[in-house]
Amino acid sequence: PAPAEAGRAPGPPDGGWGWGVVFGAFVSIGFAYAFPKGLAIFFKEIQDFFGTSYSEIAWVSSIMLATTYGAGPISSILVNRYGSRPVVMFGGLLCGVGMISAAFCTSILQLYICVGFITGFGLALNLQPSVIIIGKYFLKRRPIANGLAMAGSPVMLCTLAPLNQFLFDNFGWRGSFLILGAILLNCCVAGALFRPIGAGTALVKTQVTEEGKDALKGKITEDGPMENKTEEEGEKDCFEKVNQYLDFSLFKHRGFLIYLIGNVLMFLGFFAPIVFLAPYAKHTGIDEYSAAFLLSILAIVDMVARPTTGIVANSKWVRPRIQYFFSFAIAFNGACHLLCPLASSYTGLVVYSSFFGLAFGMVCAMLFETLMDLVGAARFTSAVGLVTIAECCTILLGPPIGGILIDTFGDYKYMFIKCGAVMVLAGTFLFIMNYYNYRMLAKEEKERKKKEEDPKSVRTENEGKKNWNKDSIEDGPELEPLREKGEELKKEMNGT
Amino acid sequence: EKNISLASPAKIELTCKLDENSNLKNPQVTWKRGSETISHTSKTQNSWTIQLTISKSSEMGSYTCILKAEKEVSATFNLHVPKIDGREKPIIAYEGDIAVMVCKTEYNPWAWTWYMANGTELVPIDKILPMDKFKIKRPSISVNRLEILKLTREDCGVYWCEAAFELGGSKARFELRVLSIVAPLKPFIAIVAEVAIFVTTIVLYEVYSKRKAKGGEKEFDQIEQL
Repeated sequence: PAPAEAGRAPGPPDGGWGWGVVFGAFVSIGFAYAFPKGLAIFFKEIQDFFGTSYSEIAWVSSIMLATTYGAGPISSILVNRYGSRPVVMFGGLLCGVGMISAAFCTSILQLYICVGFITGFGLALNLQPSVIIIGKYFLKRRPIANGLAMAGSPVMLCTLAPLNQFLFDNFGWRGSFLILGAILLNCCVAGALFRPIGAGTALVKTQVTEEGKDALKGKITEDGPMENKTEEEGEKDCFEKVNQYLDFSLFKHRGFLIYLIGNVLMFLGFFAPIVFLAPYAKHTGIDEYSAAFLLSILAIVDMVARPTTGIVANSKWVRPRIQYFFSFAIAFNGACHLLCPLASSYTGLVVYSSFFGLAFGMVCAMLFETLMDLVGAARFTSAVGLVTIAECCTILLGPPIGGILIDTFGDYKYMFIKCGAVMVLAGTFLFIMNYYNYRMLAKEEKERKKKEEDPKSVRTENEGKKNWNKDSIEDGPELEPLREKGEELKKEMNGT
Repeated sequence: EKNISLASPAKIELTCKLDENSNLKNPQVTWKRGSETISHTSKTQNSWTIQLTISKSSEMGSYTCILKAEKEVSATFNLHVPKIDGREKPIIAYEGDIAVMVCKTEYNPWAWTWYMANGTELVPIDKILPMDKFKIKRPSISVNRLEILKLTREDCGVYWCEAAFELGGSKARFELRVLSIVAPLKPFIAIVAEVAIFVTTIVLYEVYSKRKAKGGEKEFDQIEQL
């Protein structure tokens, strides 16, 4: 049987329109992560214009970042209710409106609102749904899809940085904000690509769109048990209605808790080195352009590392143990930072930047993939919202703590040591806890198999890593009958 | 070569030191300013120093120490008034809006003056009427701000900021360009149009493929009936 026919099975398409969705997610995620960083070019001019201090301007960036991460749960609730597409399109509109109104601001406070809150919220409505919809469209090739989509961030950053400079030189900050507002409307285009898909009728529609007719009625009965299962999950908890929008029962989920603690810890040391890389380079006597070039090296290596990590994570050796790979990437990142103070020359810093870019890309590519892997596509929507709001605090704290360390000791190396230590700790924690988690899951799977006789039950990724491993390579037994039926119908069609 | 900024009169010591590993042995050392020779105040085995009292701007300039032996080596000290930071790239502002030019320095000048360039002539801003068009603020001793209100196209041009130090003045250049609101609107509308076209195309494609599928479904029902 040809592998292409696996797309007809009751599960994510893993291709076809999915690649269009990946492109949309690429654009959306790219804007969400790269846009706040790209704005830094305008800050000096705005600072002069309004006569404020540097820290007052820096608040714009912080508010934007805080809103993008803090509005995660709201984004999740909206996606749970309305689906990804309307949320992303509304987010794109919001971003556009935010930046366009920012072009007409007359005070720094108005900038906080327009650029910080409104655009930040719009970006939050872009980020979450993009990540969620990849989980709905891909299963077998999900790590690759995630890696490709997350590659949007460095690519957009490399595009936005010179573009922003060009806009600024030709139109000043007001004109640039106006044009950037229009550019952010492209998120609506990305949203338009997010064709709804899911259990029940939506899935039926896409199958019908893609190929001929196969087991249409058969599919509806297959999806039946799956729908019942999601209803079941909702009824298990007392706060049924709240859980329908935001699944708080996730806090009882072992894998989710492990991920949450590990990631919150990791983000304390994640972003600070990037923020301080250029100042550190200038501090060691390197000129401004070479220092900026270090960041470019980082971005280019990052760009390549993300899809590559996706491909590696998708291979049959790594995928079942993807949590270990993720822990390794975090620890590797930490090791880079710990070794950075040893690099004193420019070549040393170039080497550090390359390795940092590689490690950074590896972690980012798998950031959401591992969460999906632990929690499953159905609950991922709520999971990602809860995780981002928890990360929000540490993300905001990381660079300022690094700054305090630098100011207190007058030396950058303590900041690098702190970041490295935190990340190595986070990586080790995740490694150990996931080893424990895998063992518990295997035990639970054995117990469940003893109770259940029916091997054809629909599974989520949460259960039975070993069995699921087989499925992902050889297409488990449940898919066989459907494929045969499909072939029969195809012959019929060709006959006429 | 070394640059030294002097804001107010001071006593300065300039020293030329010969590296121990150098090949020059017992060189003859002369301190010069232009063509004028200055006698050195003190000397050790491999360093030669002169002491200067700078109290006028005419006493500033380049001072060179020349060491003559088998080869001739020299080092120059440039004494000058502190440079002030302006803006190399043009400042872009819009009609009806405010233009802001900020002049900064690390030293403390005792006066700031702003000029507008009219051809080759420099016209001080405070002589220009109406008075409510320009606002000059001094947020601190070393920073000065010029705000030009109610901008029009005629305000385009070059502006100079001058900081007066005891030992002379120092200038910084600003170029102002005033654009009309239409300028950024053109790319803006172009991008919005592009977004609208893409979204419409995608939606239409989706509707079209659904209709094609529905049409196929009718075919399928007919086959079943057969």
